Amino acid sequence: MAARLKAEYVAGSEDFDSTAKIVNFSVLGGHKERQTVQGSEVASFETLMLPHLDAAYNLARWLLRNEEDARDVVQDAYLRAFRSFGGFHGSNGRPWLLTIVRNTAYSLIKKNQSVHVTTTFDEEEYVVDRGPVSPATQLEQNEESKFVREAIDRLPDEFREILVLRHLEGLSYKEIADVAQLAPGTVMSRLARARAKLKEFLKPSSGKEI
Amino acid sequence: MNCEEAIGLLNGYLDGELDAIANQEIERHLHDCRKCAEIYASEQNLIRTVERSARYYRAPADLRQAVQSSLRAEVSGQPLATISGDGHPILSDRKSRRDAIFAPQWSWLALAAAIIAATIIAVNFVPRSQSSRADQYLATELIAGHVRSLMASHLTDVASSDQHTVKPWLDTKLNFAPAVFDLTNDGFPLIGGRLDYIENRPVAALVYQRRKHFINLFIWPAESVMTTADKTMSHQGYQLMHWIDGDFNYWAVSDVSDGDLQLFKEAFEKQLPRR
Repeated sequence: MAARLKAEYVAGSEDFDSTAKIVNFSVLGGHKERQTVQGSEVASFETLMLPHLDAAYNLARWLLRNEEDARDVVQDAYLRAFRSFGGFHGSNGRPWLLTIVRNTAYSLIKKNQSVHVTTTFDEEEYVVDRGPVSPATQLEQNEESKFVREAIDRLPDEFREILVLRHLEGLSYKEIADVAQLAPGTVMSRLARARAKLKEFLKPSSGKEI
Repeated sequence: MNCEEAIGLLNGYLDGELDAIANQEIERHLHDCRKCAEIYASEQNLIRTVERSARYYRAPADLRQAVQSSLRAEVSGQPLATISGDGHPILSDRKSRRDAIFAPQWSWLALAAAIIAATIIAVNFVPRSQSSRADQYLATELIAGHVRSLMASHLTDVASSDQHTVKPWLDTKLNFAPAVFDLTNDGFPLIGGRLDYIENRPVAALVYQRRKHFINLFIWPAESVMTTADKTMSHQGYQLMHWIDGDFNYWAVSDVSDGDLQLFKEAFEKQLPRR
């Protein structure tokens, strides 16, 4: 079955990434030069990684289910990513960064497990990134959005994570396997199980009592 | 293909991850088997619900600043981080905010560093040939157009999911008539159209949505001497895909994955009249 999955989407993809060159400049003598070079290292890191800030935050926010922890994790993950930036040679920074965000999130979850059991929800938040719609439609969308969010929030971490990576970030199976550290062959079956569980939670009978 | 095989591959099919042969087999099965077709419809419905309703949490406005100042503190060796239980630093919000207040000069240094880095990048993205150098400049221009369109609430000049509204509008503004299709059925709803200015000429920009992400498709007339080979590249964290079809140049720019961009291109091309 796994053999029937597409290995790679795009043939003839051209790789223009050459940031490694910039990073390797950093072994120059002299304090002043070093400062400048590090400054440019930061800038080249930011050029490649800051476009993915929303993706990083979105994943952290879904995994941790609260804003404060998500902020801390994103900030920490960016620092970690910067420290290992020399090891990044790919052309697609998003899966690379998301892997670090995910690992950072899990180390915080592990640490927090003994501390607080309940998670706070900020119910006053509502969906903003849509075009103009009528108040009635807006309300309906908010209702549905809240319902879906609560169902996803009830899923085990590994199911929530894979649904976010697939449906909100649109990552391919291969990218998901990299980020979630799964064998490529297991992505499809885990997604199937995550969807089945979500469907169960979305059934009106089981979901209303939340 | 029997039902068991079809259900086993259904998720891969829904995600566009099967090879062409498996795709065909499963489509044939879904056509013939009502029971499996119903399961397929229900799965598809679930996915649509999630993609429509699950919120995409955008980063709070001040988080970018906080990330940037912690990076700068990192290279300048300032002990900004507090060490959390497992030994990795978690930055407290108050701390980073304080840093942002007490170190305003960093933003100027950051700007200077960004300019230096941009220069280094410009010089160092050394193209292998003249044509790829031209591509680099073009890619930068296209990404700038894409980013600008998302920034200043100027995503579209004409906001409509109706191709019959967008096309006439563009036709009156340009001296060429690009094809405009709504690709909602393929998962890429048309959001609208816009005029942009690339390589010293006005071009059409069609805006599509993929889940919570946007795709800008830039279109202008192709020159006869150009190659027709498709091209994909990744630049500054964005994916670009270029193809030429008939009389037009197409450049799709987005932060969706290259797989999604490929699907987008296929969906768009499917709509073009066969010659």
